[in-house]
Amino acid sequence: MLSVEQVNVFYGRAHALHEVSFSLARGETLVLLGRNGAGKSTTLKALIGLLRATSGRIVFEGHDITRSESYRIARLGLGYVPEERRIFPDLTVAENLLVGRRAQRDGIAPWTPERLFALFPNLAEMRDRPGARMSGGEQQMLAIARTLMGNPRAVLLDEPSEGLAPVILDQLVAAIRALREQGVAVLLAEQNFRFAARIAERAALIETGRIAWSGTLQELAADGGLRGRYLGV
Amino acid sequence: MDFLAVQFLTGLASASSLFLVAAGLTVIFGVTRVVNFAHGSLFMLGAYIGWSILTRLPREPGWFALGVLGAAGATALLGVMLEAIVLRRVYRAPELFQLLATFGVVLMVQDATLAVWGPNDLSLARPAWLRASVAIAGQRFPAYDLFLIGIGPLVLLALWLLLHRTRWGVLVRAATQDREMTAALGVDQRLLFSAVFALGAGLAGFGGALSLPDQSANLQMDLSAVVEAFVIVVIGGLGSLPGAYLASLLIGLLQAFGIVFVPRATLVLVFVAMAAVLLIRPNGLLGRPLAPGQITQEIRPVIRAAPTTLKWLGLACLVLAIVAPFFAGPFLLSVLTECTIAILFAASLHVMMGPGGMPSFGHAAWFGLGAYAAALAVERGGASTMVALLAAVLVPGIFAIVFGWFVVRLAGVYLAMLTLAFAQVVWAIAFQWDALTGGDNGILGLWPGGWLRSAPAFYWLTLAICVGGALVLRRAMMAPFGYALRATRDSTRRAQAIGLDPRSLRAAAFALAGAAAGLAGGVFAFAKGSVFPGYAGIGRSVDALVMVLLGGVDTMAGPIVGALAYTGLYDVLLLATSQWRFILGLAIILLVMAFPEGIAGATRRFWLRGREA
Amino acid sequence: MSLLEVRNLRKSFGGVSAVADLSFELNSGEMLALIGPNGAGKSTCFDLLSGQLRADAGRVLLEGRDIATLPPQSIWQLGVARTFQVPAIFSSMTVRENVQMALISRHRAVWRFSRPASALFRGEADTLLAEVEMARQAERAVGVLAYGDLKRVELAIALAGSPRLLLMDEPTAGMAADARGALIGLARRLVRERGLAVLFTEHDMEVVFGAADRVLVLDRGALIAAGDPAAVRENQRVRDIYLGVE
Repeated sequence: MLSVEQVNVFYGRAHALHEVSFSLARGETLVLLGRNGAGKSTTLKALIGLLRATSGRIVFEGHDITRSESYRIARLGLGYVPEERRIFPDLTVAENLLVGRRAQRDGIAPWTPERLFALFPNLAEMRDRPGARMSGGEQQMLAIARTLMGNPRAVLLDEPSEGLAPVILDQLVAAIRALREQGVAVLLAEQNFRFAARIAERAALIETGRIAWSGTLQELAADGGLRGRYLGV
Repeated sequence: MDFLAVQFLTGLASASSLFLVAAGLTVIFGVTRVVNFAHGSLFMLGAYIGWSILTRLPREPGWFALGVLGAAGATALLGVMLEAIVLRRVYRAPELFQLLATFGVVLMVQDATLAVWGPNDLSLARPAWLRASVAIAGQRFPAYDLFLIGIGPLVLLALWLLLHRTRWGVLVRAATQDREMTAALGVDQRLLFSAVFALGAGLAGFGGALSLPDQSANLQMDLSAVVEAFVIVVIGGLGSLPGAYLASLLIGLLQAFGIVFVPRATLVLVFVAMAAVLLIRPNGLLGRPLAPGQITQEIRPVIRAAPTTLKWLGLACLVLAIVAPFFAGPFLLSVLTECTIAILFAASLHVMMGPGGMPSFGHAAWFGLGAYAAALAVERGGASTMVALLAAVLVPGIFAIVFGWFVVRLAGVYLAMLTLAFAQVVWAIAFQWDALTGGDNGILGLWPGGWLRSAPAFYWLTLAICVGGALVLRRAMMAPFGYALRATRDSTRRAQAIGLDPRSLRAAAFALAGAAAGLAGGVFAFAKGSVFPGYAGIGRSVDALVMVLLGGVDTMAGPIVGALAYTGLYDVLLLATSQWRFILGLAIILLVMAFPEGIAGATRRFWLRGREA
Repeated sequence: MSLLEVRNLRKSFGGVSAVADLSFELNSGEMLALIGPNGAGKSTCFDLLSGQLRADAGRVLLEGRDIATLPPQSIWQLGVARTFQVPAIFSSMTVRENVQMALISRHRAVWRFSRPASALFRGEADTLLAEVEMARQAERAVGVLAYGDLKRVELAIALAGSPRLLLMDEPTAGMAADARGALIGLARRLVRERGLAVLFTEHDMEVVFGAADRVLVLDRGALIAAGDPAAVRENQRVRDIYLGVE
C-alpha cells in the first residue's frame, strides 16, 4: 500500500536521505531502526509531505504523493505521529481529538473518542485538560489517538517509546497491536530495539541516511553483531 | 463624580469600537502570522460601504442593523479577495515584505475610495432614535454609546464561542498553535486562512459601519484605525482576543480620562502606555512568546565589495549631481535635494534593518527630532545653520542611545511596534505642545543663513553632508563594527559564543542610525524652510521602510537605489497623475512579488546569472 | 587542579529535569566523550557549560573559577570555545570572514574603525582554515557549503579563540565516514600538540571509542556510567539503554 522508491532528501544543505527504498503492505508493521540522526525522522517527514524529496517516488494506495501537500496525503489515509508529539498545547484532549477527525473510510471501523478512550483509559479521565498540562506518556497516547481520529489506513509513528516509563510502554505495545488487528499498517521509527521487537514483523536498519539492511525481526534478533553495529554501543 | 462616571462610560464605548477593529487584526495575525497593514483600509471601506447602504435604507433601527451587517458582509468579501489575490502570494515572504505588500494595498484602497466616494467626508444624517440620550447620574449620555458598550463584550463572547464551541474554531486555534501539525492531520489551511480573513475583515467592516453615527467616513481613517489597532493588539499580546479586549478597555479609558486631566497629552498617553506595557511584559498583557516555527537559519546573501563598474557608475552619478546647479532649474534642483536627503535617511534605516536585523516602523522619530532640534536651535537659540545641524545629530543621537538600550532586547514585530510608538510620541509632542513647537502650524522661516543663502551653495552643502553621511555609515558597516552587527543578526548564539555582546552592538547601531536620520531631518528642515509634526509621522516612517525594502535589504547599494527610485517615482507620479497612490501601491505590490530581494538585490542576481555569489 | 570541574549541575525545563546532579572533571590534554540516547541532556549540558543556558544549581569551575553564572561572551573570553549541533555560522559572510570575525573579537578589535573588517587578520584566518582543510574555499559564501564543510568552518571559528577548552556538539554529523575520521583526527592532534581539553558528543560509536580517552554516559539527564571506553562498552546498564529496556 505504501512504496518508497529511491528517495533523496536534502535538509537545507545536508544530504539527509540517500536512495531510500522500502515498501509496506496492508496491515503490516515495519520498523525503521537506527541511531539518532540516522535519517528515521527525515524519512517519515518526507512521507507525510513536511519535507520534499528531491528525487525518487512515493506511492500510497495508488496515488503518487511525492509532491503532494501534507493535508492531501493525510486525507488519503496516511496518519503521522511526530517524535515531539506536537500536541496543541492550548487545546483540551477532546479538542485535540476533534482536530484529527476525518470522514470514515471503507473497510475501517470508524474511530470515535469513546473507542479511543477505551484503548487509552488514561485519556478518558482528562478530556478537558489542556495538552500543555499532560505528562509525556499521556501526550504520546493523545498524539496517537488524535491521528487515529482520521481513520488512517497506515500510521507513521516516530519514536513513540522515547522517554516513556516501562508501564506506559506496555500500554503502547497493546495499542499498536490493536491497530494491527484492525488492518492498519504501521511504520515505526525507533532506536529501542527491544520495544520494536515486541510489535514489528519486519525491520530496516538505517544509518547516515541509507538503508543498510532489511529483513525480518527474527533474523535481526538472531544477529547480535548486526544489532551492535547499527544500534549498540 | 457624576462627570467621571460619564467619562467612564464614554471610555467603555470607545473601547468597544477599538476592540472590533483590533479583534479582526489579532485573529488574522494569530493564524496567518501576517501583519496586515491594510486592516485599517478594510475598516474604512466598511464605513464607506455602510454609508452607501444606510443612506439608501429607511431610517429605522431594524434597517440600520441590517445595513451594518450588509456592510460587514461586503467588507468580508473584499477581505477574501485581498487574501486570495495578494496575501496568498506572500505567506512565505519575510514579515516585512508582507507588511510592505499590505501597505501597497493601503495606497491602492485610498485612491479607489477617493474615486468612488469623492474627497468629502460623508456623514450619516442621524434620525431621532440615533440622537436619543438617557440621563445617567444627572448627565445626558447618548443611547447609541450605551449600545456600543454592550457590543464589545457581545462580540468577544460570540468570538469566544465560535473559537471554542465549533469544530471550525478549534481548527483555527490548532492552526494558530502549530500550522504544520494541523496540515499533517488533513486540514486544508488555504480554506481556513480565507475564512479567517473573511472573519477579520468582516469585523473591521462591522466596526467601520458602526462608527458612522459618531464620526463621518473620511479618507484618513484607515491609517489612524490601523495604528490604534496595532497598539491594542500589541498591548494585549499578539493573537490573544481577551488580551485585545483588555487593551481596548485600557486605551479607551485612558483616552476618555486623558482628555479631561491632560488634554495636551492624550496622544502621547496611548503610546507611553504601550511602551510601559511592553517594557514590563515584552509579549503584551496576555500574550505568549510566538511559537518557534522559524528558528531555522535564514541563508542571506554575502555582502561583498562593490564591483568596479558599480563604483564608476556611482562616481559618475556623483559628478553629475555636483555639476547639476549649472544646468538644472529650481524645480529639478529641489527634486535632487530631496533625493539626496532621502539617501541618507534610507541609509540610516538600512543600518538598523539590514546589518542590524532590527525592523523599525518609526524611523521618522529621529528624522523629526533632528528637524525640530535644528529648527529650535535657530529659533530659540539663535544658532547658525551649522550649529543647528550639529544639534540635529546630537539630540536624536542621544535619544536613540537611551531608547535603544532599553528596546534592543525585544525582537521582530514587538520591536517594530515600540519604534512606532516612540515615533508617535515624538509626533504627538510636536503636534500638541504648541508653545514650543508651534503645533500643527509648525515652525516657519527657517532658511539657511550666511553663505548658504544661495540655492546652489545650500544644495552643495546638502550633497556633501548627505552623501558624506551615507559614506560614513557604509564605512562603519564595512568596519569590524558592521561585521559584528551582522554576525549578531545572522546567529546570535554564535556571536555570543565568540565573545560579541549583542546588546551593546545593537544599541550602538540604534544610536548611529538615529543620529544619521536626525541629520537628514535637520538638512530637510532647512531645505523646506519649515518643520511640521508630519516630519515624525507614520507616512514618513513608511517612506523610509519602502525605500529600503524597494532597494534591497541585503545589499549595501540597496538603500541608495531605493531612495532614488522611490523619491523619483513619487515626484514623477505626483506630477503626471492624480491617481499616484494607486499606481505606487500597485508598483510596490508587484515589486514585492517579482523582486522580493529588492531592486539592487535583483540586479545583483541578474549580474551574477547563476554564478556563485 | 582539573581544567574543568563540574559539580552537581542541575537544569530543568517546566518541571522536567534535563540535567540532574551532574558531576565530572576534565583535564588539559584529555578528550572526553559525552554519549547517551536522544533527550539524555547532552546539548543542555553543553549550553550550561558555555553559558547559553543558566543552571538551576551547581557549579562549573574553570581552573577553580566558577563560571556557571557568566554570560557566553565572558566564558569565551576565559578560553572556552564551542561548536553547535546545528552549525551556527554567519551566513551573510564568506568562509574567511567568518573566521576573521572570531579573530577580530579575540584581538578586541570590534570597535576599531580604521580598516575594513575584511582586511584584518587575513593571514591568521587562512592558517586556521588550512588546519581544517578549508583554505581553498576561503572566498566562498558559507551559505553554499556542504554540511560537513560547515562543521569544519565552525571548528575553525572555535579555534580562532585560542581556547583551552573546546566543546564540540556532534562535530561529525552529516559527514562522510572518511571525513569524520579526518576531523576527529584533527581534534586529537590539537589535544596532543596544544594540550587542549575537548568535550564532545557523537553518535558514531566507532568515532567515540576510537578517539575518546574517557566516556561519560548520560540518560535522562543523569550520569549513569563513566570511565575508559572499554569499560563503558561492557557496562550492562549502558547496553540496556542503547538497545532498550525490556
